[in-house]
Amino acid sequence: MTGGPSRSKSARIYSLITTFSWALGGAVVAAALALMGTAAAAPPANTVTRGAYLAAAAGCDQCHTDSKNAGRAYAGGRTLETSLGTVVSPNITPDPDTGIGRWQFADFARALRWGIAPDDTHYLQAFPFPFYNHLTDADVADLKAFLETVSPISQANHADGASLLPAARARAAIAVVDQRFRGPLVSDPSRDATWNRGAYLVATVGRCGDCHTPRNFFGTPDPGRLFAGSSAGPGGKHVPNITPDPATGIGQWSEEDIVNLLKDGQTPEFDFVGGAMAEIVHNTSRLDAADRHAIAVYLKSLPPIRSEKKGR
Amino acid sequence: MLSLKKSCALGAAAIVLAGAAGFALAQDKEAILKDRQATMKEQGKDLQNVKAYLDGKGDLAQAKEGATNLTKTTNKIPALFPPGTGGPNPSGDYVAKPVIWSDWDKFLEAQRAAATKANALVVAVNGGDRAAIEAAFGDLGKNGCGGCHTTFREKIEK
Repeated sequence: MTGGPSRSKSARIYSLITTFSWALGGAVVAAALALMGTAAAAPPANTVTRGAYLAAAAGCDQCHTDSKNAGRAYAGGRTLETSLGTVVSPNITPDPDTGIGRWQFADFARALRWGIAPDDTHYLQAFPFPFYNHLTDADVADLKAFLETVSPISQANHADGASLLPAARARAAIAVVDQRFRGPLVSDPSRDATWNRGAYLVATVGRCGDCHTPRNFFGTPDPGRLFAGSSAGPGGKHVPNITPDPATGIGQWSEEDIVNLLKDGQTPEFDFVGGAMAEIVHNTSRLDAADRHAIAVYLKSLPPIRSEKKGR
Repeated sequence: MLSLKKSCALGAAAIVLAGAAGFALAQDKEAILKDRQATMKEQGKDLQNVKAYLDGKGDLAQAKEGATNLTKTTNKIPALFPPGTGGPNPSGDYVAKPVIWSDWDKFLEAQRAAATKANALVVAVNGGDRAAIEAAFGDLGKNGCGGCHTTFREKIEK
């Protein structure tokens, strides 16, 4: 991108996107109402079970729980140092006053898919909404059903850190229009079910591209270098290339090697990963074996991209 | 009171001694780093022996040996991190973070957790139940090794 969109243009696109997101929200509500028409008043248990599985895979609890200070599950309060500033995760328990208990389905879907809160403010991309944009309607509904079963905790949200400049929020807003939000991921009919499942998990709850793809100024992942590693990952660290390039990526890893990493954090050299990836491994270790295998199949199928240095 | 000559001689001796101590310390650090890296690699090999059994590629006797070794090497960890052995590490890909020494109790807590998980792995391997071994292996790797590697280890940016 050269220079970024002009103010009037970005404002126009923004209003377009907002309108579109409202329309989408409406469609989702209609779909949810249709669903409710066929189901009983209480969500079926398997909906909650599926939602719990997705929440574990995405690791909602990891950011939305202040584990270090013995915080309650999903009540928020964890401080996250990001390249955009210091963010304190919000309460997503069903408490009506401090949590998301009053949110309607459309509020939830808009927040998850577009990073826009019910009060129309934009979340920073510390919340990986661009990935959750690709969740299916059914999965968004399942996640909401699960979160409604979490213990409601009354815990007021903290303001974000002082280092968080308004510019960062403006950038977050521009990223919303700069990014290609295609909505629920569409299956590729030329590929089998395993590949498609892997593609879906990587694009949504796995959000591998969040760290493994370099970003432009607005924080948008570079589409030409998907999964080719980044020099500015969490904490300013380099993030490895996970395309199958044999020299600089993971081309020499077998599917089993990838599965082992996702399961126990174990590399082919029998090292065990730490840092930001260790946190992701906590999520992927909660997937079932078939889903971990699907991710490995998908990653092995990516076009290999050479990076400047090994692993980046 | 010391004469000027005497104090100069003492001073010179002190400088020589300090220099020698510094040299010895540098030598020590290099030896410590080598030992630390070798121990971590040894632990990797031991875990590999357990994994080989889980994957049907190795026998139970080797898994037992690996797990037993891990109970010893996880207890060796505090001795591998004497003060002053953080920072630059020319021969490796990682450095030990300063938090190890600024919060030694936390480091010991993490080390003891790893040692406990290694003991649990031995119990599981002796029990012979594959699912239990798999769970204990994952817990030691992910939370024992991975736990320390998250808080106390840092990749060198090259």
